[in-house]
Amino acid sequence: MIEVRNVNKSFGDQQVLKNINATFEAGKVSMIIGRSGSGKTVLLKSIIGLHKPETGDIFFDDREFIRANIKFKREIRQEIGMVFQGGALFTSLTVEENIVFPLNLFTTMSKAEKLNRVNFCLERVNIQNANGMYPSEISGGMQKRVAIARAIALNPKYLFCDEPNSGLDPQTAILIDQLIGEITKEYNITTIVNTHDMNSVMEAGDSINFIHEGQNWWQGGREDIFNSDNKELNDFVFASELCKKIHKTTK
Amino acid sequence: MLLLCTDMRLLSTIGKYLVLMSTVFTKPVGSRIFFKRVFQEVEQIGMDSIWIVSIVSVFMGGVLTLQVAINFTAPYIPQYLIGLSARDTMILEFSSTIICLILAGKVGSNIASEIGTMRITEQIDALEIMGVNSANYLILPKIIAALISFPILSLLSTILGIAGGYVISAATGVVTIYDYVYGLNYMFVPFYVTYSLIKMCVFAVIITSVSSFHGFYTQGGALEVGKSSTKAVVYSIILILLFNLILTQLLLT
Repeated sequence: MIEVRNVNKSFGDQQVLKNINATFEAGKVSMIIGRSGSGKTVLLKSIIGLHKPETGDIFFDDREFIRANIKFKREIRQEIGMVFQGGALFTSLTVEENIVFPLNLFTTMSKAEKLNRVNFCLERVNIQNANGMYPSEISGGMQKRVAIARAIALNPKYLFCDEPNSGLDPQTAILIDQLIGEITKEYNITTIVNTHDMNSVMEAGDSINFIHEGQNWWQGGREDIFNSDNKELNDFVFASELCKKIHKTTK
Repeated sequence: MLLLCTDMRLLSTIGKYLVLMSTVFTKPVGSRIFFKRVFQEVEQIGMDSIWIVSIVSVFMGGVLTLQVAINFTAPYIPQYLIGLSARDTMILEFSSTIICLILAGKVGSNIASEIGTMRITEQIDALEIMGVNSANYLILPKIIAALISFPILSLLSTILGIAGGYVISAATGVVTIYDYVYGLNYMFVPFYVTYSLIKMCVFAVIITSVSSFHGFYTQGGALEVGKSSTKAVVYSIILILLFNLILTQLLLT
């Protein structure tokens, strides 16, 4: 479980996060949604320590993270898997080398064990016969799946995904969402997904945090969205004509 | 006011550089991976530079011999001084300072653009999230590799430069081979080689660390990677020239 308490973050005069409080539970996919520039990426990066909030606390299973020393932070980070928006695969390494990378650094596995683990992770994300290929030789959807495979290589307790569906076609996006949902439940991972794709929210979101103007404006389950009277949430979720019609029908 | 702002910015940059270096010079995670990375970097930084260093050294050695010979027209100047001046110029300045200025362009821009691209494509963030000290993982092998390769490149440059002079002497007859070789052996000061190697080590650290620093703090996109690369080369060159002056004053006077 990850707890965010009273987190504030500013860049210069602009306060991007305003007193954010949230709890993300294990075994659930928690979605952070919001408009571009609402502060959701800053929140995600603050949770994983890439940005340092001015005030507030973040706890990873009751372990204080923000004020922890760098050595302890690195220990916690070894329990974190992260899927970046662009995949962030190491371009000079093959698919196999990308996934074996954290295993080489943080495990004492034999070569055969590492290869087994790599193949298991690749199978888990439905990729075959791509071990020797470079990231530039595979499609965007495959890159995202390799990034997920790399993120789960060390059996993480926490999984973070920053817009995992951006730039993907709807069918591949659904596959990625399903994969994230399955992995989260299978390994009881605390998963936080940052997205503005409502299909993703409906497909995999167990709990939703709507960030608006740097505040945690609304929280709830995916079914609660349809019954909410929160104007800003409705404006965001039902922005398109199609969604507006669906919303009217469901109401 | 403008001066104060510039001073503050300079101090802030130096501070940022020192903080980065303090994270670079820590114990690396996984010694096998570290040594593998060092060997990869030796190949990229050292081996891949052999060709350019060789070409430049041979031609410069030849041209240097020709120019000295053309200018030593007075009959009372012994001809063997052509060999001596070619030797000392190669050892003292060319094979260390000038070769490093060339390497600042080749190696420095390569390092800055490589690390800068890794920064803007979030590969460095990915390393940090995995719990890896990214500065140590990326920069330390480059510094060690440069410390291994640059002195070897310097020695190679000296040998090839002198050889270039020899070939030109033989081909054009501006100086006899006997005089040229006599000049090479005349009043040889072994400390000059040590001085050249010390300079090469200092410049190796300057080029790799300054270029890595500019790459590591790249923000933005492809355009900024290009700017970082240019800055890396410019600042490396300025620092090489400055430290050349300081080291010469400290070691030779």
